[in-house]
Amino acid sequence: MRVAEENNLQPMRRIIHIDMDAFYASVEQRDFPTLRGKPVAVGGSRERGVVAAASYEARKFGVHSAMSSRKAYANCPHIVFVKPRFDVYKEVSLQIRSIFLEYTELVEPLSLDEAYLDVTANKKQLASARHTAQLIKDQIKLQTGLTASAGVSFNKFLAKTATDFQKPDGLTVITPKQAKEFIAKLPIDKFYGVGKVTAAKMQSLGIFSGADLMQWEEAALVKQFGKVGHFYYQISRAQDDRDVNPNRIRKSLGAESTFEVDLTDVDSVKEELARIALDVDGRINKHTAYGKTLTLKVKFSDFKQITRSKTVLFPITDHSSIMQIAYQLCDEIQWTKPVRLLGLSISGLNREIPFQNQQLSFPF
Amino acid sequence: MKFEVSSSTLLKQLSAISGVITTNPIVPILENFLFQINKNKLTITASDLQTSIIAEMEINSNDSGSIAVPAKILIDTLKGLPDQPVTFLVDENTYGVELKSDNGQYKLSGENATDFPRVPAVNRAYTLEFSSDVLGRAIANTIFATSTDELRPAMTGVYIQLNENNATFVATDGHRLIRYRRDDAGTNTDLSVIIPRKALNLLKASLPSESTPVKMEFSNSNAFFSFNNIRMICRLIDERFPDYENAIPNNNPNRLSIGRVELLSSLRRISIYANRATNQVRLRIAKNDLLISAEDLDFSNEANEHLPCEYKGEDMEIGFNARFLIEMLNNLSSKTINIELSAPNRAGLITPDEREENEDILMLVMPVMLNNYA
Repeated sequence: MRVAEENNLQPMRRIIHIDMDAFYASVEQRDFPTLRGKPVAVGGSRERGVVAAASYEARKFGVHSAMSSRKAYANCPHIVFVKPRFDVYKEVSLQIRSIFLEYTELVEPLSLDEAYLDVTANKKQLASARHTAQLIKDQIKLQTGLTASAGVSFNKFLAKTATDFQKPDGLTVITPKQAKEFIAKLPIDKFYGVGKVTAAKMQSLGIFSGADLMQWEEAALVKQFGKVGHFYYQISRAQDDRDVNPNRIRKSLGAESTFEVDLTDVDSVKEELARIALDVDGRINKHTAYGKTLTLKVKFSDFKQITRSKTVLFPITDHSSIMQIAYQLCDEIQWTKPVRLLGLSISGLNREIPFQNQQLSFPF
Repeated sequence: MKFEVSSSTLLKQLSAISGVITTNPIVPILENFLFQINKNKLTITASDLQTSIIAEMEINSNDSGSIAVPAKILIDTLKGLPDQPVTFLVDENTYGVELKSDNGQYKLSGENATDFPRVPAVNRAYTLEFSSDVLGRAIANTIFATSTDELRPAMTGVYIQLNENNATFVATDGHRLIRYRRDDAGTNTDLSVIIPRKALNLLKASLPSESTPVKMEFSNSNAFFSFNNIRMICRLIDERFPDYENAIPNNNPNRLSIGRVELLSSLRRISIYANRATNQVRLRIAKNDLLISAEDLDFSNEANEHLPCEYKGEDMEIGFNARFLIEMLNNLSSKTINIELSAPNRAGLITPDEREENEDILMLVMPVMLNNYA
């Protein structure tokens, strides 16, 4: 077994990150040939809703997931909206997962279409992680007719970053030798965990690439970004000790939206909440995780933030129940100041399928 | 052995009892009818071991003897023949059966009648009599609510409770419950039995349309029904029926009165839009207005209707399986029905507003928990 370079004496891990290419949209194009070659958005409609996934043809027009479908339509007027078929996606997801399990038990699904695999000691005794990733990609292609992109490296962060480097149908390997150089050159907004807002803040601090980030002291990053600053410090040095955890379950999932123009009346707050709830609903389906607690987060124009939450008897599983609870929470808040940000999240998550609309029985 | 019989008369009798025959019986000989000839009398038996039906009819014969005849081939042959006298010739050594008609002849291979399982005889039974209309109505009103869950055998039949004042028929599948009571059918002995659904279905199908007395006898393990030329024997379900009386709420505070046909038609339309798996409809009840709605999130289908009603109680939203409601309302005849409710997770009680003579019908249905019920 090769040993990681320099001061790291532990055996080097070999981690593969696999991400299906435009998963929902590709499944739709696979099953409905008339959609092939066309810009397709799964979820939403011309008038309302949120795009859950966009085909590569649609992405060329700047359409991406979590974009409001109205905006998607404006960007790409010939886009085809299709209804999501989560049952089919879940089925394909299980197919893919069983392929992963042929190679290793250490599979950590991130969602229906994405997973980390630790193939350091794999079931097929394959020495090369690149070769393993290629075999998995081929097998996925063969069994599902879909393409996946893979990233291979020695920790989760780098594996994921590698996947994003080349898509679709990509296979990128970041070896320990390449890691530091790779990260140094990586634009800051390509870092996993650095979103639009954080990227803008980083850039305002003069951080445009991994090399810039590496110049910062850990304490300074924590001061600027809070707890996640520790993580940024680590990853800028290509360090990430997180294990591939097959039993990991997220604690919460949600969505939020910062408005270009502050909202000044309750009606527009409710309208935006309905949109955010659609996004949350999509995530519930994507992660097949259900919780009973809904939290509403509100940030006012003076940056003061409040949260209100409510726990209900039954798992929250669909848009209308999210909305119903969100509106109840809405009514508990004094809407006296303009609203800058709204967010909804569900916590206390459980992977068990909830007893949805349960038919009750007599007590005998 | 030889006998002659009208093809259509024989077919009529065979059809009346053939429903008991299963396609893949445990004992292969049960794919046959048992024919027992005693001079001018033919006794035909069909059985699935649990239930047996016996029909008797007149034939022309001087012989006596028995033979098992393949049911499907025989019925199909008779169905295809124009009405005419047909002759059966049975070779008692080879069990060959030859059927002769004006059109030609047909050879079937029968089986040894002694292999046909014995039908239990009435033994130390308790006897009573019902009119066929009362019995037919009681069966029709309850049987649809029986369970098909073999893990709860007690609920796969109709519970019959007899006492000196009345006769009560109860069926439940755990989610809904029907109690059908007649106060013109009291008996002088207390008795309660559970009769399997299949037997009651067969009985219902073979009961004559004109009112006929039906003799019922119950032994420890079997029930016997006889009317006209038909006898039916079935094994009772030897289980304890659930303590259903406790499930009937007796002080539901909220009461809805509504036209039965209007509600039924509305439910039929709305349920088209309900989720196929759950059939869930939502009733939102406010003073004098019932809002029925359904949605199928998978297909983005939704529908709602408002119905006028009389309602006394707190505003309420409650979910039900539309199929249950439709089946229940279908079995009532009252112009107006009452629905009594207490909470979205408690049983709703449906009763007809106008009672038929001597009849007391009570229907209970458990709600579907609406998942946004916070």
